Amino acid sequence: MSDQPLKSEWRVIGKSVRGAAHVRSGLPNQDRISWTPESGSVLPLIVSISDGHGSNKAFRSDTGAELAVRAAQSISRSFLTSQTEPLNHSTIKRWAEENLPRELVRHWQNDVADDLTSKPFTKAELDQLQAKENAEKCRQVVLNPVLAYGATVLTAIITESYILYIQLGDGDILAVGEKGEVSRPLPRDERLFANETTSLSSEKAWLDFHTHFQVLSSLPPALVLLATDGYANSYRNDPEFLKVGPDILAALRSDGVEKVNEKLEEWLVDASTNGSGDDITVGIVCRLDALKAPPASPSDVKTQSPESNHACAKPPLLAKTQVLPADTEKTILSHKSTKNHLTKTDPT
Amino acid sequence: MKRPGGELATRPLHFIWICDCSGSMATDGKIQSLNNAIREVIPHMLKVADENPNAEVLVRAISFSNGAHWHLGQPTQIADFKWTDLTANGVTDLGKALSMVAEQLKMPPMTDRALPPVLVLISDGQPTDDFESGLQELMREPWGKKAVRIAIAIGEDAAHDVLEKFIGNSELKPLQANNPEALVAHIRWVSTAVLKSASSPASQAAGAVSPGGNVPLPPPPPAGPSSATDVW
Repeated sequence: MSDQPLKSEWRVIGKSVRGAAHVRSGLPNQDRISWTPESGSVLPLIVSISDGHGSNKAFRSDTGAELAVRAAQSISRSFLTSQTEPLNHSTIKRWAEENLPRELVRHWQNDVADDLTSKPFTKAELDQLQAKENAEKCRQVVLNPVLAYGATVLTAIITESYILYIQLGDGDILAVGEKGEVSRPLPRDERLFANETTSLSSEKAWLDFHTHFQVLSSLPPALVLLATDGYANSYRNDPEFLKVGPDILAALRSDGVEKVNEKLEEWLVDASTNGSGDDITVGIVCRLDALKAPPASPSDVKTQSPESNHACAKPPLLAKTQVLPADTEKTILSHKSTKNHLTKTDPT
Repeated sequence: MKRPGGELATRPLHFIWICDCSGSMATDGKIQSLNNAIREVIPHMLKVADENPNAEVLVRAISFSNGAHWHLGQPTQIADFKWTDLTANGVTDLGKALSMVAEQLKMPPMTDRALPPVLVLISDGQPTDDFESGLQELMREPWGKKAVRIAIAIGEDAAHDVLEKFIGNSELKPLQANNPEALVAHIRWVSTAVLKSASSPASQAAGAVSPGGNVPLPPPPPAGPSSATDVW
């Protein structure tokens, strides 16, 4: 099997909607999305989304999410331009796992520091925090102001020869094959439970990143979907959520990218209103030649996580390799998680 | 074009009353005050639930005395929630009640997309069974550990050390009720302010969350000084 890159055309679309609960309570949309290049149609493509925590302590998390997608885009571009041997996948993979999370966190922290310098906490912000939290929680934020910016970050980098998936915190990345089969390139993190998430604002946050390096040798995914957790939380259970993969693929095939792009906001608002109430952000990267294939029947498509319970539905680390035929891709030591234990030092 | 994905659903929020029905609750009108207080707050719970339609509040109640049994075993929507009076008689098998609650917090039947459950323990005395084992069973369940656990102590004889262990959060003390008015105030607080906080889906950075801190709670009502109206 050849490792020569394929020449496929791709297209990015995406939307971010303010959650129904945020509309009721007057909170802003604390999610963000960004992709490069802006046209969303020339490889390499970088798609990033972020979910600001929105807790009392994270009162600048909408800014934190904005800085997160900017940092992810900037570091990913630097990562791509620094590759002197684009086909030396082992080297690229190692750099992605060992350096990229740390660089991304450093970039984000620097941007947060700049933001704090130009816009120190206002009396109104601190008064509001004191009204909602006890003295100890207020002290934590004053001593470690980065907590006010807490956010997640998910990124997919699509090149001609590989896809790199990166995730810190809650949210979902789905890869959908040409027949509509869905897989999660990254495993579920059991720490992401009961409103708790790993975060860019955590101490040594780079240790909590998950990355997956997928070499594309013959048949890349038909589409990759990135979503903040408000999307999956809007569905009855995981199998109901995973149906979005084949359904969106079918819609792209039957109605085209532009029509789906036009409908996306309406779909997300519907999901938030009748589901979680949370902000929802979705980025979709689709391979245009895969949209010409005969449409799969969405309702008949099997998904890779058959159990209804996220925590119980722990997909294997190499889930993707179990879904697609063996010759459709090559995974080099597919997944990397640098930290798998719960205990973390409280930054305070 | 149909909306992608399967069935949409709001997030379930399980609210469980854990009520002491031992013989001592029959004295000085405690059990009737408890019945009245819970009945009185139902409209307030309904209002909070209506204000956040993205959380599906489901109420249950378990009583403990000689053993424990589900007083309201079916998770019930607030709109359908009616309180049937409890009666008091027997010993204080709190451990058994916690064990039975733990069974219901397993996944399944719980899902990980639920909002953190709210467990409200109301007691006036010392457990007579193996409380520690029941608490351990509860805390072994991820949802038991992450539940919002509130305790209301009725009267001066309540086992505060036991209630503090149940809460498991040094920042949150048992609420003391020495008269019916205080009991109503505490029950109203958990039924409204706590319920409202638990139904808000804001995320917390995992490393910065203290035990029981995954749902930030508003300040509880002031305990107030001892007064001539204290009867318990």
